[in-house]
Amino acid sequence: MATPTLEPDVKPVKKAAGKQPLHYRFILATYRIFAIAALYAVLFGVIAYAFVMGFYAVNTTWAAPVILTATDEKSLDFREKLITSQQSIEDLKVDAAKMDAGLKEMRSHRDALLALEPEIASAIDRERQHNRVDAPELTALDRQKLADDAQTEQVLAQLDGMQANIQKDLASGLITKADAASQLAALNQTATSYTDSRIAQVLLTDTVLDKTTLGSTTLEALEKQAELRSEAAQLDVSIQVADQELTEDNRQISRLHDAIVTAKQSPYYLNATGQNLLNFAFVPYDNRASATPGSPIYDCYLNMIFCRDVGTVVTRFPGEEQALHPIFKTQIRGFLIQMDLRHAESAKSKTLFLGRKPLLF
Amino acid sequence: MAPLLMWLIMVLCLVISLGKYLFGLILRLAHPSVKIRKDYTFEPSVSVLMPCYNEGKTVYETMESISKSNYPADKFEIIAQDDCSADDSYAWMLKAQRDFSNIRIRVGRNKENCGKARTVCNALQHSTAEIIISIDSDCIFHPNAMRELTASFSEPKVGSVGGRVGVRNPNESVITAIQTLVYYAAFELYKIPENWTRSVCCISGCLFAIRRELLLEIEPAIRARHWFGVPVNQGEDRFLTHQTLLRGFGTYINTDALCWTTVPNKLSVLFKQQLRWRRSIVRDFFFTLRSLPRHVFRLHPNTVLTLVLTPLGAIIALLVVVNSLLSDPMAWAGPMPMITALAIAALLSWWIKKRSVHETIAHPLVFGAYIAWAIASSLFLTPLALCTMDSADWGTRVKTLEEVSVGNPNS
Repeated sequence: MATPTLEPDVKPVKKAAGKQPLHYRFILATYRIFAIAALYAVLFGVIAYAFVMGFYAVNTTWAAPVILTATDEKSLDFREKLITSQQSIEDLKVDAAKMDAGLKEMRSHRDALLALEPEIASAIDRERQHNRVDAPELTALDRQKLADDAQTEQVLAQLDGMQANIQKDLASGLITKADAASQLAALNQTATSYTDSRIAQVLLTDTVLDKTTLGSTTLEALEKQAELRSEAAQLDVSIQVADQELTEDNRQISRLHDAIVTAKQSPYYLNATGQNLLNFAFVPYDNRASATPGSPIYDCYLNMIFCRDVGTVVTRFPGEEQALHPIFKTQIRGFLIQMDLRHAESAKSKTLFLGRKPLLF
Repeated sequence: MAPLLMWLIMVLCLVISLGKYLFGLILRLAHPSVKIRKDYTFEPSVSVLMPCYNEGKTVYETMESISKSNYPADKFEIIAQDDCSADDSYAWMLKAQRDFSNIRIRVGRNKENCGKARTVCNALQHSTAEIIISIDSDCIFHPNAMRELTASFSEPKVGSVGGRVGVRNPNESVITAIQTLVYYAAFELYKIPENWTRSVCCISGCLFAIRRELLLEIEPAIRARHWFGVPVNQGEDRFLTHQTLLRGFGTYINTDALCWTTVPNKLSVLFKQQLRWRRSIVRDFFFTLRSLPRHVFRLHPNTVLTLVLTPLGAIIALLVVVNSLLSDPMAWAGPMPMITALAIAALLSWWIKKRSVHETIAHPLVFGAYIAWAIASSLFLTPLALCTMDSADWGTRVKTLEEVSVGNPNS
């Protein structure tokens, strides 16, 4: 098979640039100037970006200013919680006062009840002693009465005969009607006296029974005593419960009070209640060594160079805060500080530096 | 308003890109019309144009692989054109001409270095074949490649056909492994929806077949390409594909036509290659915008969207990455990008292992490094491309005489 070699190409390409129209040359020159500038800008941007990233990765003195306003969500939330806590304290105090008064009342009532108990006991004792003395005497009298009544009953059995004799005497004219009526009334009087005597005897027997056995009076007294003791025991329980509740209320009041005292040290409280505009800054834990009260604060151009002293650190707040890293935008933990800034504008900077200038100029 | 618009375009680009991969997968599995009707009895005469510049012995291997083609030897020829290589490439071409006498090989040399596109045009002057196949001189071709390409021209409306480019050195380094996955996904998934509508927007110059009349029609435009008077020698494959589409012909990638290329194994070389490609994309974008109504009325919407949104996506990606690095610099370091990259790598490498054993990736997890590449390329390639549109530098094959290791082509 033929395998020829080609002659050198017959259509060499001429340099197009040699026949460039003027406007092409102008556009090309402009384009090249723009392109060089743009590429240098890109290069500068990349180097600057890498430097900023590296700088903030190793720097441990930066702090991010935080502008808190009274209408700030956290401040509003904080105020709301503070007011709620104070209201709770007031409610608890009222409750505690009521409970305390109730407790006092219950205690005095209990004391009064307990004071009654010895009186009841001594009354019962007294009654028992009287009974012990009276009961044998009354028993003897009761027996005597029974015997007397038996004799009287025998005498009364003879009265029916006597009444018949009076009738016979009246019928035979031995006695007048007036005499007969007088004699019959006397007989009736005797029977009535006997009936009274029986009644007295029954009552006496009943009294003896009262004196010799546990009577209803004593039982009532004992019931009263039991009721009194029960009521005292119930009062004891109520007093104990009320006492615990009162203690718990007082503890709650104390806790809320402590919380309010702590909260009053918070920047959000200071911000919400302060008359003047206060300046705060977030400091990550890694940078805490720089955040000591009295440390100077520097504000820098481009967040790192040509720094000036703009104030000092006033306070370091104890509570933990979480914030976004101003450069890396990652969530970081730290705390807030209060700053005394001579230049209010510095509060709007992205970052400030504590203690020293980050790049020594 | 502007950021919203930017995000909207970005989302659209992302949806279209991801949608294309997904749609490509569905079409591959379910839609028969994605595949072109191939007629293997159609055996037109073929000229394989092989421009060459500083390839050294590789050019010999390339010509050797073509000589093993199962296409009838009397139906094809190789026209090898040296673009004034500084090394011994021309000598190797002559040696191949002597050694592979079973096929017709013609070797020529430009009078002066004029770039790949014009070298192809120069080679074209010596061809009379019906189908022109332009190839890269550093690729190895499958014996079936030529037959597969010509068989695809049985559809009369198809003007250009490309092949699938595989990677010869998938496990040489992390960079080559990543490129293997990207190449495979691009050819086997991303291009499939474009195949479906016969409107592939860029056929790789590694293996590019085109009807002769069509190429002759486009040739003056190739020679006339310039950037405000500066000749343009790059991106002729994208330009040819684009011109084919604008002339009402279809374009197609036959993934059964295989060739293998050695991808860059150094970051610097890869960057230069990608920069060259990005310039082509940007140039193509400007061209598309300049004649947008013509595109809208003549081309398939799929093609227009791809032509517009691909480069627009690159520009928006640059803005998004810059914005992301400024507003949330650590976002890229989160687990999601890495998990996504590794999941894609695992899936793709499994598929490659199943379908193309030669390209099996030994360590698919290295694809995690693609995140860094994606950020770097999004950030730098587009601005650099925009600022070096007047560059004629090929980037990856520049050698001086001092650097050339002279082999022994005469042995």
